[in-house]
Amino acid sequence: MSSPATLTLSRRGFLAATAGAGGLILGFSLPGFARELQATASADGANFNAFVAIDAQGIVTMQMPFIEMGQGTYTALPMLIAEELDVDLSAVRPVQAGPGADYRIMFNNSIRFTGDSRSVRSSWVPLRTAGAAARSMLISAAAERWGVNAASLRTSEGFVLNPGNGEKLGYGELASLAARLTPPDDVVLKDPSLYKLLGKPLDRTDVIAKTNGSAEYGFDFQMDGLRTAVVKQSPVHRGNVTAYKAEAALKFPGVFSVDEIPHGIAVVGKSYWHAKRALDVLEVEFDQGEMKDFNSGEYASKLLSRVREPGVHAENKGDVDAALEDADLVIEASYELPYLAHVTMEPMCSTALVADNKCTVWTPNQGVDYVVQTAAQITGISPENITVHTPYLGGGFGRRFQTDFVAQAVTLAMKHEGTPIKVLWSREEDMQHDFYRPMLAAHYRAAFDREHNPTAVFITNVGDGPWRQLAPEFMSSPDLDNSVMEGTIHQPYGIANWRADYVYEHSPAPIGFWRSVSNSYNGFCKESFIDEMAHATARDPVEFRRDMLVNDPRHLAILNRAVEMAQWRSSSWQADDRRTHAMGVALHKSFGTIVAQIAEISLDRAGLLQVHKVWCAVDCGFTVNPRIATMQMESAIAFGLSAMLHEEISIKDGATTAGNFDDYPILTAQQMPDIEVAFINGGGVVGGIGEAGTPPIAPAVCNALFALNGQRIRSLPLRKHNLA
Amino acid sequence: MTNLNINGKSLQLDVEDEMPLLWVLRDMAGMTGTKFGCGKGLCGACTVHIDGRAVRSCVTPVSFSRGKSITTIEGLAEPGQNHPLQEAWIIEQVPQCGYCQSGQIMAAAAFLKSNPDPSEEEIKDGITNLCRCGTYLRIRAAIRTAAKNIAEQSV
Repeated sequence: MSSPATLTLSRRGFLAATAGAGGLILGFSLPGFARELQATASADGANFNAFVAIDAQGIVTMQMPFIEMGQGTYTALPMLIAEELDVDLSAVRPVQAGPGADYRIMFNNSIRFTGDSRSVRSSWVPLRTAGAAARSMLISAAAERWGVNAASLRTSEGFVLNPGNGEKLGYGELASLAARLTPPDDVVLKDPSLYKLLGKPLDRTDVIAKTNGSAEYGFDFQMDGLRTAVVKQSPVHRGNVTAYKAEAALKFPGVFSVDEIPHGIAVVGKSYWHAKRALDVLEVEFDQGEMKDFNSGEYASKLLSRVREPGVHAENKGDVDAALEDADLVIEASYELPYLAHVTMEPMCSTALVADNKCTVWTPNQGVDYVVQTAAQITGISPENITVHTPYLGGGFGRRFQTDFVAQAVTLAMKHEGTPIKVLWSREEDMQHDFYRPMLAAHYRAAFDREHNPTAVFITNVGDGPWRQLAPEFMSSPDLDNSVMEGTIHQPYGIANWRADYVYEHSPAPIGFWRSVSNSYNGFCKESFIDEMAHATARDPVEFRRDMLVNDPRHLAILNRAVEMAQWRSSSWQADDRRTHAMGVALHKSFGTIVAQIAEISLDRAGLLQVHKVWCAVDCGFTVNPRIATMQMESAIAFGLSAMLHEEISIKDGATTAGNFDDYPILTAQQMPDIEVAFINGGGVVGGIGEAGTPPIAPAVCNALFALNGQRIRSLPLRKHNLA
Repeated sequence: MTNLNINGKSLQLDVEDEMPLLWVLRDMAGMTGTKFGCGKGLCGACTVHIDGRAVRSCVTPVSFSRGKSITTIEGLAEPGQNHPLQEAWIIEQVPQCGYCQSGQIMAAAAFLKSNPDPSEEEIKDGITNLCRCGTYLRIRAAIRTAAKNIAEQSV
């Protein structure tokens, strides 16, 4: 559609929200607004602000600040706009917004990325406001056209209505006039009782394209003259190419060139297969680099050896030392968690074209501004001459915050100026050159008084975090990396003395953000240990938790909901399949969302664990789309279960050993449990839904195993343990 | 030149015999609905039909499909229409990231053709394609729904 209007409503800091009667009243402050307004004129449509444009047919094009990697943003965020604009969801067409300040709507309008379960949370106020502001301008335009008072007009499903005389005008007819008007100084957002879309289980907007093969991913990008590059990076992490012989590779038909890239070599060919066939015979030598002596097994031992060292306090409530001293009973346990890979179904890929001092990148990413930054650094081209197109992502899970694959495409595009180069990774490259979920060793201690009430919990985590390695600006102090500690601190259990200490041990292996970050391992350790505390004092794990939650009604309500759904049984029983079944429970808040899960399991004669069913109760404040939120819980449970059962990245002599699904198995259809999900809208700030379902599943299953056979699992994956 | 029959259309392509069908489809014929996931026939993202049977095209040399009829996700249904499985995939809201779903649907289509009235256990065991988003439960539900709808339509 043509829409030359550039009325940018979303200047930084444009919203100051105050709660008013009947809704939220928002004040705008729009520097430079009137001047830009003069530039807007369009016969057939217009941009109302950085997010909303309406064409003459009434189709709303929405600039998406966040990408779609499966989590449902392309449905949930259009719902925010559609609700306040008062149009049907099908009238809103989401398109991925390019780089730029208008779309940095996170952390006081300073940053933009897709992750941390923040897309709905970050959009909740700005996108509803953008929709409401556009609606207000459409009403004003109709009032002007009809010569009536705007306050007398109503809207419904893409029309402005005049209840006085029954006249109506479509948004498409009003769009170009409306966009010339001054945006309102403030808008009143709908009272939740009037929601037509929000809170409803609406279908995804991307589902049809994802069932007929037409959804376009980074791997699928095509254009005239495109060449495909396949890469081989140093097997030892961060090693460099020292020598290579290109002759044999260049002899293959369909091969154009052999080029060096950072830490590796690329063969450029006319297809993936032509390039890969040549790459496989390419003789290349790498220096062994600083990581050549690194072994993950030795690193694990080192972490474990330090769990009793004093650390930096992430939380220090009460007097843990005194409570331990005075205790009638003290229990302690150590836990160990491995490196994990992301294994998105679509391996890493990126296309770049450098020509005429401009750079265009087509790439899956979880942060478009990081792509611009990477391309600018490599090419020296200024950011305003760098364009980025973001397709659907074939999974993200935190992997695509990194731009290492973008750097490869841009490096090759620089070398082959004027030729678009698409870099595609093999599964082996993807698995062996990931930024892994960090390894962790943790030690937990609990103190009980004479009546066996818990008086203290003392946690020590040893390891390294993605904040320190990749985003140190998020660290509140140079010593404390809360990307290792989230999930150990500010817990709901009413235990008077609580300390969580951090001991830093550098990870030579590259680490990154993995779905639910440190909650993925802290949820396991903490909820396993709470279970250990219950059993140490002969308490039912549900009752034990309930007693500690008397002052936290929301956590208690979610726990109780899961207990009701599952019809909780604290003892194992003989089920209809003639196997012994047992249940385990876990409760964990992350990303602003409280999740309780109960898992029902059994073991077969060979000791193979089967998870039959998972009941999952969720309080994310307000559930924008319960259908998508349910899908996210199913997905998060599958992701956590996969890691718990199977996953471990081992590094030998600096190189990752696993390379494909045969030696890094992930959850299969046969291992997927039935899942039942329920929501309680507890109110308050909206929580995230993409990750919060992952942390509780591993402890729920392992706690069930303890109930079944008394075996306590303190390290993962489960396949390393003999369960027979 | 290799003559291929893809989705009912004849296509002449200059490709080596040993080139996997996946890359012929994607890089030579420009049909990108069929996906690459592992290159070793382990994940099923590349599943297509050859003479109605599901194959993993990343490990299938193109020469194997010569003289046979190849069906991809783009040709599973008549143009502008949905296969009952695609319909069921929409009803049950299966896809998340969506990357593996072409292969899942193609595997399910071949499965239902050989077993039009599967039991719950057969559905569970029938598809071995991997999905990292964990859409397995909805895939099961969609196969169930499609089997029911196909049976009703043919009555």
